[in-house]
Amino acid sequence: MADEAPDAALSALVAAARRSSVARRVQGDVETRLLQSIVEATVRLFDAEAASIALFESDPDRLEFRVAAGEKGAGAVGLTVPPTQGIAGYVYSTGQALALSDVATDPRFNRDAAEQTGYVPRSIAAAPLLDEHGTAGVLQVLDKRGSPTFSLRDMELLAVFAGQATVAIAAARVQRDTARLLRSVLTGLDPALAESGVEELVSRMTAGLDDEEETPFWRLVDQVARLRGLSDSETTLVADILEVVAAHAARSQRPRALR
Amino acid sequence: MSEPYLPAWSEVFADPRRGLRRSLRLRGVTRDWAWGGSTGAGVRVGIIDSGLENDHPQLHGRVVENVTVEMTDDGPRVVPDELRDLYGHGTACGAIILSLAPEVEIVSIRVLGADLRGKGTAFAAGLEWAIEQRLEVCNLSLSSKSESLYPVFHDLADRAYFQSTALISAANNVPAPSYPSLFSSVFSVAAHGEPDPWRLYYNPTPPVEFGAWGVDVPIAWKDGGSTVATGNSFAAPHVAGLVALILSKHPGLSPFEVKAILASVADNPGRRHPWRRRAVAAQ
Repeated sequence: MADEAPDAALSALVAAARRSSVARRVQGDVETRLLQSIVEATVRLFDAEAASIALFESDPDRLEFRVAAGEKGAGAVGLTVPPTQGIAGYVYSTGQALALSDVATDPRFNRDAAEQTGYVPRSIAAAPLLDEHGTAGVLQVLDKRGSPTFSLRDMELLAVFAGQATVAIAAARVQRDTARLLRSVLTGLDPALAESGVEELVSRMTAGLDDEEETPFWRLVDQVARLRGLSDSETTLVADILEVVAAHAARSQRPRALR
Repeated sequence: MSEPYLPAWSEVFADPRRGLRRSLRLRGVTRDWAWGGSTGAGVRVGIIDSGLENDHPQLHGRVVENVTVEMTDDGPRVVPDELRDLYGHGTACGAIILSLAPEVEIVSIRVLGADLRGKGTAFAAGLEWAIEQRLEVCNLSLSSKSESLYPVFHDLADRAYFQSTALISAANNVPAPSYPSLFSSVFSVAAHGEPDPWRLYYNPTPPVEFGAWGVDVPIAWKDGGSTVATGNSFAAPHVAGLVALILSKHPGLSPFEVKAILASVADNPGRRHPWRRRAVAAQ
């Protein structure tokens, strides 16, 4: 079944997958950097003790705190909580924003997760990151310094930041999930294609694109990424050198798949 | 109440003098007529949420049934529920409803908590069960974004409307489609910030039709506790309580009729209505 896909389309998809992987490697973790900038803006605008973004991950189902900002925020990064509990879990499950004003004054408040971060807040506002598939995660703000509670305006602002975070995630994930993208393209091209056929094609297209591997090709890409700090004239010099090397390589051997 | 930035779902309720003028006043339809003397007795209110804590002091033992949706190989199945409220949220909604309508019977339909897989499907199955039970009122402080469930929820909302089950649905806080909270057949509710559980606005510019208290609301929370919270989730139960009061005093009214009554007794600024002042005083 895999062999029935037109060769031209196949090689175009392979090229697209390779470009996407290289771009991701060169640019670094765009998603985390974008989300970091969003929580930093959130903390500043709310004048809050902390802000954080948790994203949903499956197997096992969990909310993972990816980024945090603010004086009391650092402890949250890397923490995972069950998506079935707590404020973040509720907001994730329902897709509804929620603000609690005196969580810590209630002696029965379940503070286990909060204590793991080293900071137990008095107030929390949380908004869902809603994309077209549902809820991708949760944006939280802890303890506004100027006020013990969150106003309607705060909730609206939080929703705006949550919207930005959702867009950032969607944009970054197109890059990250090359395989998922290919899967959807292939299924769209040929609805009759069986799941096993799709998987076989995807694995052929993405072969050699695992950037966890330290192959010479990825070392080269990493070097290129470092060139971004150079001036124009220095970059031109490097490009000239590479051109000579590439021309030499082309003369001395037949082209091979980049590895 | 003239803050420079206001939420999409609530801004219309922040300055009632500007956005909420409308002329409908049904002569004789006052708060006193609508629910004066009513306690909600005889009305069953379903709460589709995170479950309810039956022994929470603010629920006064009014929870008569707890069910949940189990996902099986043959599809979702509604079964008796053993779990407590994992979040506190369902309990909060129940306590708000009882604070207005103390003698309603509450049916907890838990669709959140233990297993998140297929949660949109579980939500739809829980709603279908509530409709099959012919509950008079159902509070939905949650919604689904699933495109594929759009027709399912649309059908369920219509079935509820035609058999006179009032679905009270919290509007989502982002201006994006969510179901069934923006269907015309449900009572779509967003928050206003005036600390008065009886203060109700009718919004003549839908999809959100009603505004109720949803900012810094003292609420019941898990493990017998309480806290203070903000969200449309806590505005919807205020309207559910009012609807229960009306249906207790006037059994058999359709959702259309109940909406007209709410619009008529709403606190929107408008012409002077001497009978309304008496009705509010009776409260």
